[in-house]
Amino acid sequence: MKTDQVPVIPGLFELNNSSGVHLVGARCNTCRELYFPTTQTCRNPKCARDDLESVWLALNGTLYSYTIQYYQPPALFRIDNWEPYAIGLIDLDDGVRVSGILSGIAFEDIRIGDRVTLGALPLYIDEHGVQRMTYAFFKLDLAASHGAVAQ
Amino acid sequence: MSGIHILGAGAIPWGKQTVMTQLQMALAAINAALRDAELSWKDIDGVVAASSRFEGGMGWGLHANEIVQAISERGVPCINVGGACAAGAIAFQTAFSMIASGQSEAVVVIGAERMPKGFIPRPPGGQDDITDNDFIRWVTMGLTNPAYWAMEARRRIYDYQTTHESLAEAVMLMRKNAANNPNARFRKPVTAAEVLASPMVTDPLHLLQICPVSDGAAALVLCSDRFAARAAKKSVEVAGVGIASGTYGDPAHRIPTVGGSLKNGVPHTSEVVSAAEKAMSMAGVEHGDVDVLEMADNTAWHLLAWPEMLGFVEPGQGDWMLHNHKYDLDGELALNPSGGFLSFGEATTAQAVLQICELVWQLRGEASGRQVPNARVGMSAVLGLGANGGSVVLKR
Repeated sequence: MKTDQVPVIPGLFELNNSSGVHLVGARCNTCRELYFPTTQTCRNPKCARDDLESVWLALNGTLYSYTIQYYQPPALFRIDNWEPYAIGLIDLDDGVRVSGILSGIAFEDIRIGDRVTLGALPLYIDEHGVQRMTYAFFKLDLAASHGAVAQ
Repeated sequence: MSGIHILGAGAIPWGKQTVMTQLQMALAAINAALRDAELSWKDIDGVVAASSRFEGGMGWGLHANEIVQAISERGVPCINVGGACAAGAIAFQTAFSMIASGQSEAVVVIGAERMPKGFIPRPPGGQDDITDNDFIRWVTMGLTNPAYWAMEARRRIYDYQTTHESLAEAVMLMRKNAANNPNARFRKPVTAAEVLASPMVTDPLHLLQICPVSDGAAALVLCSDRFAARAAKKSVEVAGVGIASGTYGDPAHRIPTVGGSLKNGVPHTSEVVSAAEKAMSMAGVEHGDVDVLEMADNTAWHLLAWPEMLGFVEPGQGDWMLHNHKYDLDGELALNPSGGFLSFGEATTAQAVLQICELVWQLRGEASGRQVPNARVGMSAVLGLGANGGSVVLKR
């Protein structure tokens, strides 16, 4: 039987067999500013309104920078089978800059300016046997072979 | 000039403290500052403490109260301020304001900290929800503090062809300066090869290119014009002080954020740039007037980027400045003659106070072995979590 896959922080992103992986942000209906993570208030000082709606952010983006973490981070980070991994800063095509794990790319092949696409990555199996997933970015030209959700 | 003076500066050697508690460290630094000012506790009518979240302060951040109860309980106003790594600068600004308002005459500013080992962990009390960036960065990707700076460094290599050797040279300069500073923790000079052979923590930053955590304390005594005039000790006048928070759209991917909406025209690390502009404007000094800059070097990248960000040199010029010894003690702009955080380690609430202590010693010509020749204008710059920027300008 296939293990249930659930976002490690429910509501931060969507993980759905039919519609795929989506980062959930917010858009101000007055000034059109986009936010990730979602927000209760429009933070743009030029906008005095707080009329926000939940939106899906762009799926693709360009790698602004990256690092490779060679030491295991402290709690609250939890991952089964930890090993050094890459984290990227991605300029999404809708203008929001987000950070996220870069997966499925050999460290030496990572380049600033790479086109990347959103996917999901298993972190750990929790006490209820549920596979907790995080969002992650994959090299765009490799996306087809990974699918939207890495197994 | 501001009419506010620094009469005394004191610090204890930084490192891993095995004997003294946080309170004992604070008292040792304050006593050193009082001795330096040729004053005693009875002269003090205000205490401002940079509040630690790790130890002391009765668990409520009441470090100033704990200090006066230990030493001099006679009704002195106690103020405890937050500001994370910039808390010392916020405490300095608070003491400055207390004296400028006329409510106090002589105020102690103290930062003392015993840090937990390793990566600075997440504190309790967060919202732990989908609007809480600090929660999200740990749970979704384990994004550590130095990794934020590593991504800045990696981008700098791409933008300006900064080399790994430049990032090593920055550490070499800090260690060279620290070699003659008895309060510094790491005083052994290092070679570029040693820096680059140290373990890779978060690419491209090696262990020796990231400031460790330390235990340390530093204190200052500030006073009014009137008080300074009748004091035995010659004072250094505060020329300018500024604190600021961030500006919306800042291009820095600021700890602990996971997402940002960038705006053109907003300076990188805007909280520090704004604070420095305020301090320089109050002091009436231009970049070319500054002889000594004590800035937060959490990593080697900071030493290349911050003087550019603060307007001392053009973007991308930092490598050339460093390589051509322009940041040396006798260079155009002496950078961290103390040895910086890379040589002291980070004791979060104490470090901004220590920066100002070093400026006092430099301007008095007392920085034996690391003295900047004829230092007349000194400036500090520090950044703290929550987008806290702080800066102080002192003039001889």
